[in-house]
Amino acid sequence: MYLGLDVGGTHTDTVIIGNSGVIAKSKIATTHDNLLSCITDSFSAVLANVDPSQIQRVNLSTTLTTNAIIQNKCEKVGMFVSGGPGIHPASYSIGNFYYIIDGQIDHRGTEITLLNLKQLDKAIKKCKKKGIKVYAVISKFSTRNPEHEQLIAQKLGDVDFISVGHKISGNLNFPRRIATAYYNTAVWRLYNSFSYAVAESLRAWGVTAPVNILKADGGTIPLHISQTMPVESILSGPAASVIGTMALCNITEDAVMLDIGGTTCDIALFADGAPLIEKDGICIDDRNTLVRSLKTKSIGIGGDSVIKINGTTVTTGPERLGMSMAEGGNNPTIIDALNVLKTINFMDTSRSMEGLLALGKKYRLSVDDIANAAITYAMDVIYNEVMAMIEEVNARPVYTIYEFLQGKVIKPKTIYLIGGPAKTLSNLIARRFGLNVKVPQHCQVANAIGAAVARTTVEIELFADTQRCRLLIPNLEVNTRIPAGYTLDNAIDDAKNYMIQYLTTLGVDEKEREIEIVDTYSFNMVKGFETVGKNIRVRCQVKPGILHQCKDILKI
Amino acid sequence: MKAQSSLGVVFFPAFDWAIHPLHPEREERLLYTLDQLNEEGIFDVEGITQYKPGLATLEDIMRTHFCFPDVSSVTTESHLISAGGTIKAAALVLDKIVNKSFALVRPPGHHAMKVVHGARGFCNINIEAVMVEYIRENYPVKKIAIVDTDCHHGDGTQDIYWHDKDILYISLHQDGRTLYPGTGAIHELGGPNALGTTINIPLPPNTSDEGFLMAMKRVVLPILKDFNPDIIINSAGQDNHYSDPITNMNFSASGYAQLTDMLNADIAVLEGGYSIQGALPYVNLGITLAMAGLDYSYVHEPDYAIKDLTQDREITKYIKKLCDKVLQRYEECKKPSFKLMPGNYDVRKKEIYYDTDNIHEMQLESIMVCDQCRGVLKIETTSSVNPLCLGIEIPSGACDQCINEGYRLLDHALAGNRYKYVQLIDRINKKYVMY
Repeated sequence: MYLGLDVGGTHTDTVIIGNSGVIAKSKIATTHDNLLSCITDSFSAVLANVDPSQIQRVNLSTTLTTNAIIQNKCEKVGMFVSGGPGIHPASYSIGNFYYIIDGQIDHRGTEITLLNLKQLDKAIKKCKKKGIKVYAVISKFSTRNPEHEQLIAQKLGDVDFISVGHKISGNLNFPRRIATAYYNTAVWRLYNSFSYAVAESLRAWGVTAPVNILKADGGTIPLHISQTMPVESILSGPAASVIGTMALCNITEDAVMLDIGGTTCDIALFADGAPLIEKDGICIDDRNTLVRSLKTKSIGIGGDSVIKINGTTVTTGPERLGMSMAEGGNNPTIIDALNVLKTINFMDTSRSMEGLLALGKKYRLSVDDIANAAITYAMDVIYNEVMAMIEEVNARPVYTIYEFLQGKVIKPKTIYLIGGPAKTLSNLIARRFGLNVKVPQHCQVANAIGAAVARTTVEIELFADTQRCRLLIPNLEVNTRIPAGYTLDNAIDDAKNYMIQYLTTLGVDEKEREIEIVDTYSFNMVKGFETVGKNIRVRCQVKPGILHQCKDILKI
Repeated sequence: MKAQSSLGVVFFPAFDWAIHPLHPEREERLLYTLDQLNEEGIFDVEGITQYKPGLATLEDIMRTHFCFPDVSSVTTESHLISAGGTIKAAALVLDKIVNKSFALVRPPGHHAMKVVHGARGFCNINIEAVMVEYIRENYPVKKIAIVDTDCHHGDGTQDIYWHDKDILYISLHQDGRTLYPGTGAIHELGGPNALGTTINIPLPPNTSDEGFLMAMKRVVLPILKDFNPDIIINSAGQDNHYSDPITNMNFSASGYAQLTDMLNADIAVLEGGYSIQGALPYVNLGITLAMAGLDYSYVHEPDYAIKDLTQDREITKYIKKLCDKVLQRYEECKKPSFKLMPGNYDVRKKEIYYDTDNIHEMQLESIMVCDQCRGVLKIETTSSVNPLCLGIEIPSGACDQCINEGYRLLDHALAGNRYKYVQLIDRINKKYVMY
């Protein structure tokens, strides 16, 4: 049995998937001030009638770190940043304890100037005097040469926690590495006390299964890994819905997922059944990070979007001012418009009519006209946003002539619709897009199902420089010698082997180690008119998807 | 960080294309530039956006060049993507999607001339010229200035616009007496209908930042002001760099950034530049930051601090004099001078060598001297790969007489069998035909 829990903005959804499919589910209000409380209540609700020892895997998607970052409930972080030729690192200052240490590494990983140890010592003393206990260490091009980061971390000595830039991701992007390392450290203490409490609560229920945390890329990581990489747990909510949709529908084609809730509509895209991944990473609190994520977009249109009129123009969203009138709110919303048109028959339809009549009287418009116009407007916004997203994906830069001429173009064939008002909107969406719309069963808890069935994902980038006989996989801390005759084929084999080794240490079942090579490049490095070596890059991943065992259960 | 001026970067490194695996124009060329731009997070800066190139069409090429025997024989997909990249860069600016754009594409183009039999100076088609003609065809833009800061004289661009008074071509380059292709002397000032719209500033070897910026300030900026173009294009070659393996100049990344800032071009296009590790990552970053109006003062090469790039006093003195001479020549162009009476052809005989493809070409170029328009152009050409061919161009804005003359030339050529191939460029009726 698989337990999945998704803490959302409004509700916390939990399911248990057993041999006959979803065997227990719960939906309770999220208690934002004390997340542990709604999580343990959810456990009580679903575990009451099952044998806890039969649970094989627990996957959690929480908003803890996301909220801490957005509400700035972060611990103070000592930031040690060393730059190199280019934009000055002061441009990326974050937090109140940001120290720039002189020292430079270039794009090949060559040390150009040594780290200024005097400066470093002084900064460390200052931080310790101020009582700072957690740190983040980032140097430019540390994914090409991690020595400066390692040296700073070593000099920091015995502190509570250090985030080291190159361990976060193999990707190049100094500003994102700085922000990601900062957040990772800033939420570390909070996350750890929370994660221990959750683990404790599960143990108390008699659940002994491994616990995993859902990431924004729709994959999971083991709880103990997340304790040193808490930033990986941010913004996992939309990913839970995407994986849930994949679990409920057998998606094999180009498709769009729409998750329409009360306030927002989340959009995701699929290419040949696989969810699209954001190129660099997700953005939180206006900062770009290296946290890998699915490509999703959230727009301000939902069932409770308020209907607004300006002259004779009817619009709706992005605001939500409480619930629809039918549910006892004070402002007419999309739900009320649907009630008035008798598309749905939801709670107090007379109040919906009352609300729209009042608007109609004020602006001299008929109730039907307002309702129709508001719904048309909402459909147009969703349609245009989806089309813009597809266009953006199809226009994404490519770097080879082969990709330019043969590159995949996304052309959706189906729309998968989930969320509260999904069923009632399916005809309208189908008409607006001119596409087939599918609304899966259990779509109200698709997110929790997604959390339950998500598999462990990892991405690595191998970088080999045969002139220097050096191989690096930064986030696995592989830094080793290679022979000068090392080839791209060797690199592909090594990338796969290191990946398998790592997946084994994560306890990932052999069946779930589906490794995909994403990109390979091998460049001849030429000096004068002679080849002096090869610059090889291999990127591989276990891509987000559904656990094989769950596929059997869900018959997909 | 937010760009003061929004910038579109059309980036296409063609990671799977090389002239030859060991050639400077190879797959690796923009690898470290991409690494540097990615590590700087340049495409995360608000206002700097990366774009994918388009694919130049047959018409885009035939509107610009006479290609013999035809376009597909002298181009590959890489050239059409590179030219498509410049077209995209132009469209981004002229459609007002961004304020400025930078086409960071390869292969380059500024040695490709009006007539193309193959590759010369690593170039097959002239990607700036394809862009300029695309702009003139699709937007109400008349006057365009191209400032070429590649170390090699842009003899291709000069050739294409030699007779075009609406295009100002200014080239700063290492003196042709010391570097390929050898042309670009100060007395090369344009054809009889366009005298003074070609300007050459041949700088001596070992010119540093000081010399380049002096030439910019004393010559380029005043002439630009005088010409008053609707659009400024920078042919942003990067081989003036002190670490470039095939040239002899002392220009730095910081100098390039300052020059970019002074020039304030609307569109920049990468040309040459073959110090792919030591220069390109920093020069491209400097140009990008300068175009976006961001601080570039920390952009320095790793070895910048240990290099002595101070300009020799003799060189400074020479450049000062050179600037005066160029300006004097430019002023003289405004005075009435001897030229043929309108209605007559001014004829040039040209011998052209294609170093990359080892082709020899002989040309007889005739331009109609005309005081109404740019004049009909006729080029008879033969090369080691093609028998005698003919190109006829009726320019945009052509007068009735020149249009009629163009068609008279065409009828005459098609009636006889002197030419193996005849190509017509008729900008008035947008007719681009190979016979």
